[in-house]
Amino acid sequence: MKVNRDMAEQKKSSFARQLSFHIEGRVLILAVVLIILVIFFGTIRSRFLTTNSIKSMAFQCPEIGLMGLGMAIAMMINGINLSINDTANVSALVAGLSLIELAPLFVGHEFISIAIAFLVAVIMGVACGSLNGFLVGYVGAPPILVTLATLTLYRGISVVITGGQTLTGFPDELSVIGHQAVLGIPVPFVIFLLTGIVVYFILEHTTFGFKVRMLGTNPTAAKFSGIDTKSITMKVYILSGILGAIAGIIVMSRTNSVAYEYGTRTYILQALLISVLGGISPGFGSVIGVLLATFILQVISTGFNMLLLGVQGSSFFKDFSWGVIFIVILIIDRLVHRHSGMG
Amino acid sequence: MKKLLNSHEFMMFIILIAVSIVIGLKNPLFFSASTIFDIVRGSLVYCIMGLGVLMVLISGNVDVSFVAIAAMTSYSTHMLLLRLGYTGGMGLYLAIAILFGLLAGLAMAFITTQFDLPIFYVSLGYQTLWYGFNLFFIGRAMNFSLPQGLVGYYSRFLIKVKDPVAGETGLHISVIYLLIIAIFVWWLLKYTTFGRGLYAMGGNREVAIRAGFNVRRITYLMLALNGALAAVAGVIQDAYSRSFNPVLFMGQDLDVIAAVVIGGTAITGGRGSVIGTILGVLLIQILNRGLIFLGVSAEWQRMVVGLVLIIFVSVPAVIERRQKRLKYSPMEKEE
Repeated sequence: MKVNRDMAEQKKSSFARQLSFHIEGRVLILAVVLIILVIFFGTIRSRFLTTNSIKSMAFQCPEIGLMGLGMAIAMMINGINLSINDTANVSALVAGLSLIELAPLFVGHEFISIAIAFLVAVIMGVACGSLNGFLVGYVGAPPILVTLATLTLYRGISVVITGGQTLTGFPDELSVIGHQAVLGIPVPFVIFLLTGIVVYFILEHTTFGFKVRMLGTNPTAAKFSGIDTKSITMKVYILSGILGAIAGIIVMSRTNSVAYEYGTRTYILQALLISVLGGISPGFGSVIGVLLATFILQVISTGFNMLLLGVQGSSFFKDFSWGVIFIVILIIDRLVHRHSGMG
Repeated sequence: MKKLLNSHEFMMFIILIAVSIVIGLKNPLFFSASTIFDIVRGSLVYCIMGLGVLMVLISGNVDVSFVAIAAMTSYSTHMLLLRLGYTGGMGLYLAIAILFGLLAGLAMAFITTQFDLPIFYVSLGYQTLWYGFNLFFIGRAMNFSLPQGLVGYYSRFLIKVKDPVAGETGLHISVIYLLIIAIFVWWLLKYTTFGRGLYAMGGNREVAIRAGFNVRRITYLMLALNGALAAVAGVIQDAYSRSFNPVLFMGQDLDVIAAVVIGGTAITGGRGSVIGTILGVLLIQILNRGLIFLGVSAEWQRMVVGLVLIIFVSVPAVIERRQKRLKYSPMEKEE
C-alpha cells in the first residue's frame, strides 16, 4: 500500500511538473513565432508597424479570439463547441431585435437600451450554453454531435426570427463600442482582454478551474473524487456560450448589423485552429496561449494582405499560410517536447 | 437472426422506413420513382466521402480535411486537363484526381505518423491549407467550360423514368461507383488485416500495437484511401453540377461526419459499418427533402432538422446509459 501511495505521489509531482512545462513550452514557442512574424512583416513593409495598422488588427481579432476562448474551455474538458459561432449570431440577433424594440422607449438615453440589449445577448448565450451542457453533461451524448445538432438548431432559430434578413438600423451609439478607442486601445480589444483576464482567473485561481482541469485529464478519477462532473460540464458550456455571446455583441457593434450567416463558413474552423494552436488539450492549456494564437493568426492575415497588395486573390494566401504555419507550429512543439523527454 | 434485429443498422433501417412512410402518408408524391432517384443522387457523393470518414472514425481519429481534398483534387485536375486540351470523359479525370487524393492523404499520414500528432489537429490546418491553395494558386472562379466527354454527364441514367413534375429523370450512372466503392470498403473492413487493424486501433491503440498491427502502415493506407475517396466524390459532384468549384463542399465536413455517426459509427472509434454509413447519409437526405414534402416552410426547415438531430443524438446516449446502469449497477449506485 505504501509503495502504491509513494508511486502515486511521485506520479502526481511529475504530473505537476509536466503541467507547468507544457504550458510554458507552448506559450514560449507561440511568443517566439509571434515576434518573428512581426519582425518579418515589419522589416518588409514599414507600414505594418504603424499605429493605424496595429489599431486595425486590434479591431479585427477580438471576435474570433473570443470564439477561440469559448472553444478552448470546452476542449479543456475533452469537449468541443461547434455551435459557438451560431451561439454568437443568435445571441446578437435576439439582442438586435430587442434593441430595435427598446430604442424608441429610451430616446436620449440610448446607452440604457444598448446595455439591456447586451444583457439579453448574454442571457441568450447562457441559454444556448445550457442546452449544450445539458445534452453533454446530463444526457451523456458526445459533445461533437451535440454541438453539431445545436449548431443547426441555433442557425435555424436565427433564420426563423429574422426571416433570413440582415438586421440593421441600430442607434448610432452602438457603433461607439465597435469603433472607438479608450486611451488609444480599441474598445473591442479592451473587452477581449478583460474577458481573457476573467477566464484566466477562473481557470487558474478558483476551485472551479481546478475541477475543470481534473475533469479534463481524467473524468473517472474526477467523478470518484466527489466532483459533480455533470454540473461542471454544464457550467463550462454555459461559460462557452457567454463567450460566444460577447463575440456576437462585438460583431454587432463593429458591423452595425446582424446576420444569421455571419462567419458560418469559416469561423468554426478558425476557433478550433486558435484553440489547438494555443496549446489546449483536455486538462491542459492556458488563456495566454489562446491570446497569442489569436494574435498570430491576425498578424499573418494582415501581414500577407500588405505583402501581396495588388496580387489577385491575395487574401486567400492567408488561408494557405495559416494551414502551413499551424502544422509547422504543431511539429515544432512536438519536436521540442520530444527532445526534452516530455510528451 | 436475433443479432440482426438488435443491430444498430437494422434500427436505422426501421427508422428510415418509418420516416419515409410518415412523409409518404402526408404527401404520396414522396413515393415517386423520381424522388427516390433524386435522394439517391443527392446522397451519393456524401456516401463516398462518408466511407472514407468511416475508416478514419473506426480507427479512433477524426479528419475534417477531406472536403478540402475533394475540392483541391477535382478543381486542380480540371484546370490541368483544361490547359492540356483534354476532351475525353470521366476516366482520366478520376485517375488524376485519385492520384492527387492519394498523394494528399499520404502527405498527411507522413506528418501525423512522423511527428506523432493527432490526425484531427493536423486535418484542421490541412483543410485551410488546401482551400487556400486552391483559391490562391489554381483559381478563384467556378469553371463552367467542360470537356466534350463530360457534357451531358448529369443526365446519363441507368434507369430512365418520366415524371410529370421533374420531366425526364432517372437513376444516375454514378451510383455504380458507389456500389463498387461500398463493396470494396466493406471487403477491406471485414476481410483484410488492414480493416481488422482499423477496428483494433479504434478499440485500443496500445493493444493493437502490442498485438502486432503495423499502426503506421495502417494510418498511411487509411488516409491515402480517405483522400482518394474524397477525390472521387469531388469529381462526380463537379461533373454532375456542370461546374468545377474551388470551394466545393466548404463547410459541409461536419455534416458528413454527423451522418456517419448517426449511422452507428462510434466517434471514439472501434465501431462502424458500411451499411450504417449509407443509411445515415440517406436518413439526413430524406429528412431534408421530406420536410419540403411535408410543407414545412423553408425558414423553419433548418430548425426542425436541428431538433430532429438533437433527438437522434440524445436517444442512443440515454439507451446506452440505461444499459450500462443495468450491467454495473453496484458501481453506479451513487448516481
